[in-house]
Amino acid sequence: MIAIRLRQIRNFILKGVDLDIGAGELCVLVGPSGAGKTTLLNVLAGLVPYQGRVLFDGKAADHLPSHRRRVGYVFQDLLLFPHLTVEKNLWLAMKGKNLDRSGKKARTEEILRLFRMNHLRARLPEDLSGGEKQRVAVARAVASQPKVLLLDEPFASLDFRTARYLRQEFKSLQRRLGLTTLIVTHNLHEARELADHIVVFQNGRLEQTLRPDDIWFNKGDAGQFLEKPNLLVCQEQICLENGLVQVRWAGLKILVPDEGRKISHLAILPHEVYISTLRPPGPPINRFCGKVKDIGENKGMIQVTVEVGKEILRVEMSPGHLKALGLSHGDRVHGIFKLRALRGC
Amino acid sequence: MSFLSLILMSLFLAAVPAALLFHVSPAEIFTAVSSAEILFALRLSLITSLLAVCVSIILGVPSAYLLARRHFFGKALIETLLDLPLVMTPLVAGMGLLFLFGQKWLGETLAELGLRLIFTPWGAMAAQTYIAAPILTRSCRAAFEATDCRYELAGQTLGLSPVRVFFVITLPLARQGLLSGIILAWARALGEFGATLMVAGATRFKTATLPISVYLNISSGELGLALACSWLLLLTGLVMLVALKWIGRSRKGKVSVGGI
Repeated sequence: MIAIRLRQIRNFILKGVDLDIGAGELCVLVGPSGAGKTTLLNVLAGLVPYQGRVLFDGKAADHLPSHRRRVGYVFQDLLLFPHLTVEKNLWLAMKGKNLDRSGKKARTEEILRLFRMNHLRARLPEDLSGGEKQRVAVARAVASQPKVLLLDEPFASLDFRTARYLRQEFKSLQRRLGLTTLIVTHNLHEARELADHIVVFQNGRLEQTLRPDDIWFNKGDAGQFLEKPNLLVCQEQICLENGLVQVRWAGLKILVPDEGRKISHLAILPHEVYISTLRPPGPPINRFCGKVKDIGENKGMIQVTVEVGKEILRVEMSPGHLKALGLSHGDRVHGIFKLRALRGC
Repeated sequence: MSFLSLILMSLFLAAVPAALLFHVSPAEIFTAVSSAEILFALRLSLITSLLAVCVSIILGVPSAYLLARRHFFGKALIETLLDLPLVMTPLVAGMGLLFLFGQKWLGETLAELGLRLIFTPWGAMAAQTYIAAPILTRSCRAAFEATDCRYELAGQTLGLSPVRVFFVITLPLARQGLLSGIILAWARALGEFGATLMVAGATRFKTATLPISVYLNISSGELGLALACSWLLLLTGLVMLVALKWIGRSRKGKVSVGGI
């Protein structure tokens, strides 16, 4: 486990970044596109020129070329070597390490077992699913015996369920291995789920450091790119037997995944609230009725304010979707909170 | 209209080898092929062209990689120089080589090192290298450019040195393009005539490669021998064409990497 310290990192994108990451910590970098998140990972990996100081456990690493930094990097496109099987991708990551042939073989077996991908060993990357590729890419980075692990939007191209499963799997693995880790993501749920702390980047600068739950309550000027969630003050908390919790908001019963803690607010991002003029089919769970109070535009997206009882809810949709719904001020609407989009905090 | 053009062109292209095939009987050709002169020309052509390709690989592959991956001062000038032999008439190139190696200081220095180039088989090899190396460099450069350089970065973050990355990642990924380039360069070296004639001369059983043998025999009215050489050149060309097609079709994934 090693601690990372960055001091006044500058280059064509970054404008003087100072950042400390404790040994074994998992730090998530969030920010709009072009903010410099990936560039910061590239600086740590020694792949781009920079000025400033990168210290691993207090020792300067600036003079080290990328192949001597012992930084495992999972690129956004994963970059599994297409001409090599999974096993050989792992084997290659061990080249140049102080391991003899039998040592490498044993380590390969260990990694294959650790990542539960023994059945994939003889497959080429083109024969793997998205989730499998992602798992192999992380496994390969771990196989190179890194001191630091860098992941650039590793779960971005996966469906919700697979991404969530792999996130949980990765988090427990990261804890077990005690690897100091930096992850770049655009997904706030992902950031909150994974991070020990979250760093907000904007215009090549570190704007703010947040604790995972702060991401919903961030009211400062910094990190304005963060989509402000609806924070619904809720009462009454009843644990159900099926891994769900029932809370009450605006007189409605709402079900949320049980995360084993007291819930005072429900957080849901405006683009994850679905509304319609027709009553949606299906069981009446997490549904609501309301009245359109206001329709506005922000950065090319439509913001609809809906009054539910005495509460106010913000909903975001595309102009095309608004046109299809034909909404106007004062219309009655039916809405759904998707269970997976609701977060208790 | 397009089909008609295609048919006419195909007929024209097919008519040339057909004319070579049906001009004399196969028995005559077989006798000519087994003659000492043709066997010598074949052996010399294979040796000089393979040596020329080897030298071209040693010079061309690293140059191609550098041109594909780096930007440096004077790159455009070097690129133009590398393309010059592609547009230069081989006969003119040969004359240039003759004058270059005929210079006292260079000729004598090379002779002291045991390398006489003018009117020797070494001269044939030098002429073939001059013509083949730019072709190989151009093809290899395209192959390297088509390979995503981010795989190299990924390799480096795994702890592989740049040299190792080149051999275990870049080369296997660019393999198809590189092999195509090597085959094209070899075909060009094997069929090289103008430059070889100027530098190595046209002496039977000494510097007569297959194309020069065609020239010598057609000049002296030995039609059978000239056609035998043509048949051999045609055959090797055909084999190379098939090899190129096969490389184009082979699956990328079947590439193996030595040592891993």
